[in-house]
Amino acid sequence: MSLKVSLLLDGQLEAGEVKPALEELAADPALRDRYTLYGLAGDALRGNPTPDDGFSQRIFQRMRREAVKIEPEFDPLKD
Amino acid sequence: MQSTERAYAGIRMAEKEADAELVRLAQGGDERAFQALVVKYQRRIARHVARYVRRASDVEEVVQDAFIRAYRGLASFRGDASFYSWLYRIATNAAFSFLKKDSMEVQGDERLDEAFEPGVTDEQTPERVLLAKQIGEAVERAMARLQPELAEALLLYEVEGKSYKDIAQMLGTPIGTVRTRIFRAREFIARRLEPVLGPARDRRW
Repeated sequence: MSLKVSLLLDGQLEAGEVKPALEELAADPALRDRYTLYGLAGDALRGNPTPDDGFSQRIFQRMRREAVKIEPEFDPLKD
Repeated sequence: MQSTERAYAGIRMAEKEADAELVRLAQGGDERAFQALVVKYQRRIARHVARYVRRASDVEEVVQDAFIRAYRGLASFRGDASFYSWLYRIATNAAFSFLKKDSMEVQGDERLDEAFEPGVTDEQTPERVLLAKQIGEAVERAMARLQPELAEALLLYEVEGKSYKDIAQMLGTPIGTVRTRIFRAREFIARRLEPVLGPARDRRW
């Protein structure tokens, strides 16, 4: 399955495989950990080895706290 | 390693399509798909924002603002450009809005007179700086020990920004071999990052 994580990160899965892969990730913290580590490895190779340190988690927490929703008319480049 | 990031220029040809399914799912309300995009791009977006915004806590706030604006506006994303370049523009706007607001709030504040060094944020704890250094070193050590054909595939992808298809052509291998080589290279590095980063619970999402 870790191969699938690597392919998900790179957009190499077939369209129909992405949702099941996300479901597997949601069910398995070890796979989410792989996704994070593979991404970190890539960023480190590009000279950006910053640890996540809960950074992503705080984004999701704030989104939940503020009940952020998709707004059909909102254009983030204009509004 | 700064120059390698410039060479990469943030985007590869195939990346426009690479995120298409994740974005489509996120637009349909799949929060996990959006989370996967956040985890994938937060570091690159944070580095971009840090070119304009000085304090680490402000960088984090601006990055949060950018991802929140992106989520609210997902319906407006048409896929004309890559998701990353769209996000990059949103983050640029968020950084400029922050600077405008910040300069109004601190008019007369001595901070305005301080020399500003782009890309250098303060409030980075020594622990965090040390950890970043250790991560960089662990990745370099892993790359030095990695089988050359695995390292080559990963570098072509991550640093040179080549697509899987291009790499297959360059290496004269089937695309399936590129997939497994990139995966095996990542797994080799990941195992060497684990002891540096400590318990997995600290980095789960």
